[in-house]
Amino acid sequence: MTSKIINMAERIKDAEDRLLESMFDSAPIADAGFSATVVTKVRRGLWLRRLTLPVFAMIGGAIAIKPLTGLVIAATRLSSLLPQDFLSRTAELMPQAQIIVLGAMLLAACMLGLRTIVD
Amino acid sequence: MANGDDHQLVARIVSDQDTAAFGELVRRHQSQVRNFLRKLTGDIATADDLSQDCFMRAWDKIQTFSGRGSFIGWLLKIAYTTFLQSKRKSKRYAEILEQVGHVAEVESRSYSVQADEVTDLEKLLAVLNDEERAIMVMSYACGLSHREISDATSKPVGTVKSVIFRSKEKIRTNFDIKDHQHG
Repeated sequence: MTSKIINMAERIKDAEDRLLESMFDSAPIADAGFSATVVTKVRRGLWLRRLTLPVFAMIGGAIAIKPLTGLVIAATRLSSLLPQDFLSRTAELMPQAQIIVLGAMLLAACMLGLRTIVD
Repeated sequence: MANGDDHQLVARIVSDQDTAAFGELVRRHQSQVRNFLRKLTGDIATADDLSQDCFMRAWDKIQTFSGRGSFIGWLLKIAYTTFLQSKRKSKRYAEILEQVGHVAEVESRSYSVQADEVTDLEKLLAVLNDEERAIMVMSYACGLSHREISDATSKPVGTVKSVIFRSKEKIRTNFDIKDHQHG
C-alpha cells in the first residue's frame, strides 16, 4: 500500500517537472555501427580467452620439456642406485602402482581436453 | 514488454554466451546509454568511448544481472560507474603531470561544453555537480523511477529525492525556468 502511494506520488508531476523533462528530452542517437563495433570487440575477447589456455599450456610445455627430461633421467639414475630388493619389495606391495599413475595421467589429460571442448 | 524481451536475451547470453543476443541488447539500449553519458561528460567522443567500455563491462558482468529491476537501470549503473572511474583516472593522470611540472592539458573528462554551441540544457547541467547531473539525467532524460536511480547510484531513495530537490533548487536559483516555459 505504502509503495503504491509512493509510486503515485512519483508520477504526479507539476509543470516544472514537465518542463525539465522536455528540456532533458533529446533525439535518439543513430546506431551507425556502434553495436557492431561492440559485438566485434566482445567476439575478439571471447576468442582471446579461448586461445589463452591452450597457447600458454603449449608455451609452458615447450619451456618445461628440457628440465622435465633432465628430471626423468636423474630419476632413472637414482632408481639404479637403489638396492634391487627394495624395488622388488615395492612392486610386491603395490603391483598396481604403474597402472594407478598411468590412469591418473590419462584422467587429467581427458579433463583438460573436455574443458577445452566445453569452452 | 521490452523488459521481458530483455530478460529473455540476457538468459540466452548467460546460457549460451550468445553474442548475437548481446548485439540486439546493445542496439536497443545504445541510444539511452550514449545520451546519458553525453549529458554527463558534455563531450560526444568521450561519451562514445565510455559507452563502449560500459557495454564491454556489461558483457563481462551479465551473470550478475538479477532480473529484478529493468535492464536499462542495470546498464546505467555500469555507465555511471564507468564514468566515475574514468574521471578518477584522468584526475590522477593530471596530478602526476602537475607533479612532474607539466602544464596539465589533459582531457579532464569533467563537464565541458564548447562556448559557441551551448544549449539551454548544457547551461542548466553546468550548474550541477556530477552526482546531481547523473541523478537528474536518470530521472528526467531516462525516465528511471527513484527506486531504479537508488539502485543505479547505490544511494538510499531518500538521498535520491533530496538530490533531485536540491538540483531543482539550484536550477531555479540560476535560471528563471518559468520564463523559459513562456518563451
